[in-house]
Amino acid sequence: MGRTKIWAVAAALAVLPNLAFAQATDQGTTAPSVAPAVSAESIATEAATTPLPQLPGAPEVPAVVDGQGSTSDALDAAANPSGFPRAAPTPNVGQPDGGWNLQDQHTPIGEYGSWFNTVLLWLMAAVTLVVFALLAYAMWRYAAKRHPVASRTSHNTLIEIIWTVVPVLILVAIAVPSFRLLADQYDPPAPDLTIKAIGHQWYWEYEYPDYGGFTFDALMLSEQESAAQGSPRLLDTDNRVIVPAGAVVKVLVTSVDVLHSWAMPAFWVKMDAVPGRINETWFKVDRPGVYFGQCSELCGTKHAFMPIAIEVVEPEQFNAWVAAQEAENGSETPGPRFSRGADGKLVVTAAAAPAPAAPAAAAPAAVTPATPAAAPAAAPTAAE
Amino acid sequence: MSTRRATHRTGLLAAGVAVAMVGLAYASVPLYQLFCQVTGFGGTTMQASESDLPAKPLARTISVRFDANVTPGLPWSFEPAKTHETVRIGERRLAFYRATNHSDKPVTGTASFNVSPDTAGGYFVKIACFCFTEQTLQPGQTVDMPVTYFVDPAMMDDASARRIDEITLSYTFFPVDTPTASGQKAVKTAQAKPAPNQG
Amino acid sequence: MANTAEFTAGHDAHDAHDHDHDHKPGFFARWFLSTNHKDIGTLYLIFAIFAGIIGGAISGVMRLELAEPGMQWLPAWVGGNIDASYHLWNSFITAHGLIMVFFMVMPAMIGGFGNWFVPIMIGAPDMAFPRMNNISFWLIIPAFLLLLGSMFVEGPAGFNGAGTGWTVYPTLSTSGHPGPAVDMAILSLHLAGASSILGAINFITTIFNMRAPGMTLHKMPLFVWSVLVTAFLLLLSLPVLAGAITMLLTDRNFGTTFFDPSGGGDPILYQHLFWFFGHPEVYIMILPGFGIISQVISTFSKKPAFGYLGMAYAMVAIGFIGFIVWAHHMYTVGLDVNTKMYFTAATMVIAVPTGIKIFSWIATMWGGSISFKTPMMWAIGFIIMFTLGGVTGVILSNAGVDTYMHDTYYVVAHFHYVLSLGAVFALFAGFYYWFGKMSGRAYNEVLGQLHFWVFFIGVNVLFFPMHYLGQDGMPRRIPDYPNAYASYNEVASIGYAIMAVGMVFFFVNVIWSLFAGKRVEGNYWGEGATTLEWTLSSPPPFHQFETLPTIK
Ligand SMILES: [Cu+2]
Repeated sequence: MGRTKIWAVAAALAVLPNLAFAQATDQGTTAPSVAPAVSAESIATEAATTPLPQLPGAPEVPAVVDGQGSTSDALDAAANPSGFPRAAPTPNVGQPDGGWNLQDQHTPIGEYGSWFNTVLLWLMAAVTLVVFALLAYAMWRYAAKRHPVASRTSHNTLIEIIWTVVPVLILVAIAVPSFRLLADQYDPPAPDLTIKAIGHQWYWEYEYPDYGGFTFDALMLSEQESAAQGSPRLLDTDNRVIVPAGAVVKVLVTSVDVLHSWAMPAFWVKMDAVPGRINETWFKVDRPGVYFGQCSELCGTKHAFMPIAIEVVEPEQFNAWVAAQEAENGSETPGPRFSRGADGKLVVTAAAAPAPAAPAAAAPAAVTPATPAAAPAAAPTAAE
Repeated sequence: MSTRRATHRTGLLAAGVAVAMVGLAYASVPLYQLFCQVTGFGGTTMQASESDLPAKPLARTISVRFDANVTPGLPWSFEPAKTHETVRIGERRLAFYRATNHSDKPVTGTASFNVSPDTAGGYFVKIACFCFTEQTLQPGQTVDMPVTYFVDPAMMDDASARRIDEITLSYTFFPVDTPTASGQKAVKTAQAKPAPNQG
Repeated sequence: MANTAEFTAGHDAHDAHDHDHDHKPGFFARWFLSTNHKDIGTLYLIFAIFAGIIGGAISGVMRLELAEPGMQWLPAWVGGNIDASYHLWNSFITAHGLIMVFFMVMPAMIGGFGNWFVPIMIGAPDMAFPRMNNISFWLIIPAFLLLLGSMFVEGPAGFNGAGTGWTVYPTLSTSGHPGPAVDMAILSLHLAGASSILGAINFITTIFNMRAPGMTLHKMPLFVWSVLVTAFLLLLSLPVLAGAITMLLTDRNFGTTFFDPSGGGDPILYQHLFWFFGHPEVYIMILPGFGIISQVISTFSKKPAFGYLGMAYAMVAIGFIGFIVWAHHMYTVGLDVNTKMYFTAATMVIAVPTGIKIFSWIATMWGGSISFKTPMMWAIGFIIMFTLGGVTGVILSNAGVDTYMHDTYYVVAHFHYVLSLGAVFALFAGFYYWFGKMSGRAYNEVLGQLHFWVFFIGVNVLFFPMHYLGQDGMPRRIPDYPNAYASYNEVASIGYAIMAVGMVFFFVNVIWSLFAGKRVEGNYWGEGATTLEWTLSSPPPFHQFETLPTIK
């Protein structure tokens, strides 16, 4: 802490602030040095897993799961049922470390993004140095005492073309990895697990739709509570999001009141929560551990106090946790379970699925008992 | 130096531009809606009739996930009959959402909707949907609300949409009426608008 | 090929106004019913300094609170109510942003220097619509009072002030703020916007119709070009903001649902409209600064601006591209991949004309005979700050990287480097450059240099560590933060204190120079200063160019 502080003062006091950039990038290269092949790697993992878990197309709709309307009082223990251990966060992992650089990345996208950012930092530092060198030289060489008579030069077509074309070339070079990063972000492997994050003023509610739709709220721990658990202040929550290591997790994000943003820096994830709209993002983390993020869209009074805490656990631990959740919520449709294959890769087992997805024709029959009023309510022809 | 008249003309012209830009700001509301409906921007779904169904579905399948939300002000539960299903691209499907009014008053709701990822909006085609109109539920009533849809095979020709594994169809129900003390309903101006859209 | 250096005054412009004993109205009529562009410019500058003090003081309180983790100061302001102190924070960031944008930078750049020097530089006696000019200024006073007043009326239930951020996004600004504070803030923006639109109409008309004989568009000084482009940006973008916040107002009060999803509206549409205004707005703040820097560098290098036409059309290009990049402020809102790729590419294109400007400024210095007077120091500081803010802008333009950086302190660092440091450095460059011209007295060079160096060091200590905070993931707009962010926040707060010391030199300098500064002649910068204001006395006569100058 003291060291970084002194260093920061020194860097900032340096009249040429780009020194800090140069130093920053210098250290940055010890981080991931090559761009990981995001898609290829993810797809390889995917091939080793069973396909998407199939939930039974159960004809009977389960009795209203208390999904949307669940109350928080019962839930304090819900996500952490008796005996389920809370992992201790690792210092400087999945949380800010007080340094100058990006947080260490734990997803393939994050590693690539972090690498790309380091490349950009170098490139921009070089551009900055060139500009500052030209500026410094001009200030020295053409100071009035050294150069008392000004020239009248006000045009040089060649140099004007050069300083137009060279930036264009640099930008084109940047665009290639930039677009690849974007494309990779938008081309996730098929999800192994889907969770839903719902923003509230001022906490996140989470739903596991694949497991009967149980939900819980994640409220920030008080200063005393987080100190007792060895968690960083303002970052940990009473209930954490639990996901299995190695799983491709799709996150659906929405809000019930104002805009929020579900952010997890260590995963290179940030997605706004917009009322009346679903957004999605995804991550795949292999390293078990606890990771922290904070709401990243101004959402009112306690915007700073609705953190996001994710605990990545071994597949068996996840199975145990999710089974306890299902039992507690009386879910009749157990969701997929996870394990590690002999090669260490994640294996997804559809839980006791009796049948593949019901054919379309079965659906109408299934619903008739419940609803005499369905027809008037539907009135599908009244389009615009 | 121009004449006084030319000066006034320039000033009026500039003022006209400013007024026109205010107009454009307002025009952007329907234009944006239209833009979304035509292009599927922002995950806006398409609308079509039965006759637009492709003659033969493709062999290729895709997962469709169903998502449901209720605004806190609406005393309903609302959820999909199943969380997801695997469908063939171009195949006509019927899916249901179940809604229950837990209050002791009739309540009208209207649903906003979109699909995710956004790119899928242009290829997710609804033939019929409960979301096209407002829904009124009597006290304690439960209804199953249908949506008939298909995934447009044109999606396979779009490089940025072709690799999508799963489309999430999401609805959020909002209350339309605010019940007043007398049991009457104060209808919001919003009701006069066409089908809800979230571009 | 024309360039600024070829301007010479009309044969008799100087002689006709060698004295300022010309007819002036009485005090009230002169300052309250003013139709004189120079007096109105002065009023704007005084107002901007005043607003800047308030906006700067608010950020001082913010830096004080952020100096250490935990809540140390704000709760005491609201009777110890911790939640109220969080909301106070939000209303501070909102007020700081709105004040600095609408009531400090814009009035100083356009209202102040634009009013003062655009008519003179094109050889016009005054603005095209002098009375409208007066209205422009006097609209901004109630606008400012409304904004300040909004901090003392209810916003969210139980708390005072609008805590929406300067972006005023729904639904936080609608259902999240039931009290009248947001209504007052919106009305304040309406008035400020109307003021700026009237000003823009005035500048466009003036520049198109009132140029002296021979002053073709391609002979206009670059500052006039910059104000012309800015005026067009204002004219095209501000009405869109006005429309958007009017819809917000009716959503809040009259049951419309433009941005309310429960009635079929879309909160994201507001963001599109806001940033359609908001992105040009950042160029509105910086373009006149570009113009000032061009004049200053040319003057102190004793050389005409390098690549005059390239410089002028680079500003036009920046203004144009500014209208087609807005969604790069919305990368995390849920946009599809093709949209993000388009906005990434379009945004990066801006770096090209911006680079042309930076290189042309250096090329203007190249081969010159540079004297490092205070205005030149600020201009050089501007190039340094703007380059740093520019390169982080290139990084942020990449939608893939913005996923990480969005709404972190990295963004705060970026836009303070280009605005707080870019625009403000340009303002100080212009202030010192023209201080003698406006007041008739010289500023104190030693105090000016001290102001520059202390301020330069202070703002870098203040804002540079914010890059680190952002890279480490610290979100914007939070009054309290995880302890890992403590060190750099402490450094930043120390930087604020250094900067504040620098400002003391500024205020002492202004007051001392106004009363005791040496009287200056018409062209106190000598051969490098070639634009028309230097052909007039300092200060210029109340009515200049009663006989129009002719430009060769
Ligand atoms: Cu939030």
